[in-house]
Amino acid sequence: MDYVKEIIAEYQKIPWFQELNEKHLRKISEISTLRHVRANETLFREGDKEDSIYIVLEGRVALDIFIPHKGKVRFYTAEKQELFGWSSVTPTVRQRTAGATAVMDGLIACIDAAKLRQACDEDHDLGYLVMRRLANIVASRLLVTRLQLIDMFGYSESKNG
Amino acid sequence: MVNEQRLEVGSTIAIEKSVLDDLLKRLKENGYQIVGPRVKNETLVYEKIDELNDLPHGYITEQEAGYFRLHEAGHSRYFDFIPGAQSWKQFLFPPRVDLFKLQKTNNHWEKASEENQTVKYAFIGVRACELNAILIQDKAFMREDFTDPIYRSRRERVFILSVDCLHPAETCFCASMNTGPRVKDSFDLNLTELDDVFLVKVGSEIGRNILNGLPFELASSFMVSSAERGLENAAQQMKRELNTDGLPEFIMANLDHPQWQEIGQRCLSCANCTQVCPTCFCWDVTDQVTLNNNETRRERVWDSCFNPGFSYQAGGNTRPSIQSRYRQWLSHKLGSWPQQYGTLGCVGCGRCITWCPAKIDLTKEISIMREEARS
Amino acid sequence: MIAPTIHSAHETHQLLEPDWAEIIDITHEINDVSTYWLKFNDANLQANYSFQPGQFNMIYVPGFGEAAISICSNPNDHSLIGHSIRFVGNVTNAIKNLKAGDVVGLRGPFGTAWPMKELEGKDIFIACGGIGLPPLRPALYHIMQNREKFGKVTLLYGARTSNDLMYTDEYDAWRAADIDVQITVDRGDSNWTGRVGVVPMWFYQFRIDSRKTSVLTCGPEIMIRFVIFEALARRIPTENIFVSLERNMKCGQGSCGHCQLGPYFVCKDGPVFRFDALQPFFNVEEF
Repeated sequence: MDYVKEIIAEYQKIPWFQELNEKHLRKISEISTLRHVRANETLFREGDKEDSIYIVLEGRVALDIFIPHKGKVRFYTAEKQELFGWSSVTPTVRQRTAGATAVMDGLIACIDAAKLRQACDEDHDLGYLVMRRLANIVASRLLVTRLQLIDMFGYSESKNG
Repeated sequence: MVNEQRLEVGSTIAIEKSVLDDLLKRLKENGYQIVGPRVKNETLVYEKIDELNDLPHGYITEQEAGYFRLHEAGHSRYFDFIPGAQSWKQFLFPPRVDLFKLQKTNNHWEKASEENQTVKYAFIGVRACELNAILIQDKAFMREDFTDPIYRSRRERVFILSVDCLHPAETCFCASMNTGPRVKDSFDLNLTELDDVFLVKVGSEIGRNILNGLPFELASSFMVSSAERGLENAAQQMKRELNTDGLPEFIMANLDHPQWQEIGQRCLSCANCTQVCPTCFCWDVTDQVTLNNNETRRERVWDSCFNPGFSYQAGGNTRPSIQSRYRQWLSHKLGSWPQQYGTLGCVGCGRCITWCPAKIDLTKEISIMREEARS
Repeated sequence: MIAPTIHSAHETHQLLEPDWAEIIDITHEINDVSTYWLKFNDANLQANYSFQPGQFNMIYVPGFGEAAISICSNPNDHSLIGHSIRFVGNVTNAIKNLKAGDVVGLRGPFGTAWPMKELEGKDIFIACGGIGLPPLRPALYHIMQNREKFGKVTLLYGARTSNDLMYTDEYDAWRAADIDVQITVDRGDSNWTGRVGVVPMWFYQFRIDSRKTSVLTCGPEIMIRFVIFEALARRIPTENIFVSLERNMKCGQGSCGHCQLGPYFVCKDGPVFRFDALQPFFNVEEF
């Protein structure tokens, strides 16, 4: 199918996908769709019960949380070739804990998470590769979050010059 | 006893002890402010002295970790005691000194006065460890890229009358540091005190001139061998030692040693050690401003790496724990000092051991670290 | 090891005695940071004053004391000397109360510089954050004025929020000079369309040739630590990573002892260090 070929072509530009064999690459591509987005377009909101994993192919997507009296705080941006919405791969998450908004016009790949979970169950080799990749992504996000948490630019009042 | 022999730089002669009095008079006539050891209120200080009898004649000191006593033992010698808390650094590097004064006129600050801090001192009774400490501070205060003008103006003019140590205290360890008990060089006149006479070695032209014309006799071989024997015994008698083999590398490679934490639980961060240490050179500068904010005095004062605010900067303190501050002091003194100035920063005078209220003994601590690192 | 600058002190001056400089202009930058443009009262002094990118001055407010402030202006501009000052302590808050026309004491320049000569022919990756950009700005001016001498130049700069970004009106001029300027904030609001995320973590997004890239970094020490971590992960040799550090400074001349880090006086052997020299001490807690 031309559409799947188009998706495969996009995925092949991404380093991680280059490590997959043809069978696995095709499998993931078959359960993906491409979505053009405009600046300020919402992909999902906090509380949504949708079930996809996203990869930014072009553009930038901001992840945000709404804080009463503060408004929407953007705590991360997914840049080109970055994945977001990873919590769909874990079986326990039921709804989105953050919102995702396109910050500029772009192209997003959307992977059907239910079908991905099923594919991983059926093919443990693929399952292992996917989970390993996700573990890396989550680890890296955790480090970013920790650095944001310690607020390295926050300065306390000091007495000396 | 007038002698035909001409005094040379390098000569060793002998003088009656009373001649030292004449020497002090000579120094005063030459415009020197004479400072030396005296007993004051049961303690040993370095202060102005006028004559031989101002010295601690007949005294000895008893020192141990956290312990110091001055005893009048009744012997006939002037320099048998081992120095107390004070060192000569207070004269070359004064604890409190004005740098300059400013005055505000028409909303405009101007220098109100030149502070001339030049003083011509004569130090009487400098020990080998103390002399080495001065040489070490010379490297810190007088460098190619920067010189402290106050230190230099005093250092250039100072007359050093040094004294060999024949009766070290229990806390001394200069022998293992190779900084004593014998005075080797960098003095104007050096004394070795025997029972009846002082042996005097002439170290410089200035020393020669001050001594020239005063009555002396040739140092007999008996006198010289007595002095030698005394110095050898002094070196043997030392109860403490510090193994300096590969010490800087050892310390810098063991900054995470658990012993630092152990010491940190005993150290009071009182800064005594840095005050009594003759090589410690850290300082601070403050503005002493009048209430109407029209005059200010820039004052330099001694500081200590143990002071909690020492490493404080915007964002916090880089050494908040006592353990880290103790480690800074000792790892600087014995670890990184050589890279900065070419020698270890410690001269083995033992003051930090004597004057530590928590009885921390760096020779013991280093020895423990080495033992544990080995096992 | 970058050799320390030999500072020729005025022979007639007392220890720490400053020269006097007038505040010609003050630029409000961000919430608690303003840039003070100083000019020596003595015209000869001003004409002969020169500094290298990365160096700092000691600014003195009589009655309060001195503060060590990096020079942030163009080294080629001899008319004024710029200092971006964050108001965070006694002395800097005293400076905050001064206005144009007031006079302050000025001593300097002190410290080591970014190794601009050594960087010629190389790609340069500058990763900095917050008030870490001012000490690097003179290096940027130098690069722009000698652009052909350097390879690919990237500036990755981050701050807490978009309100804390310094020199925002200059980014386009830097881009026009063929510097890839990439900005990030720790957290953004709904109007922020740029990157959100910490400086060290964006490192991996860039294609760098680790054989010919040198990294310059300055900012909160925790940020520096992670930038270096990333740089090492990209196999950039420690000799090609340069760091500007900050410590409590009182004399600026390697004498008072306050700024020591192991064997180094940050005011004299730094503030710019080659990372291989710092490596043995850098990760020792509370050193």
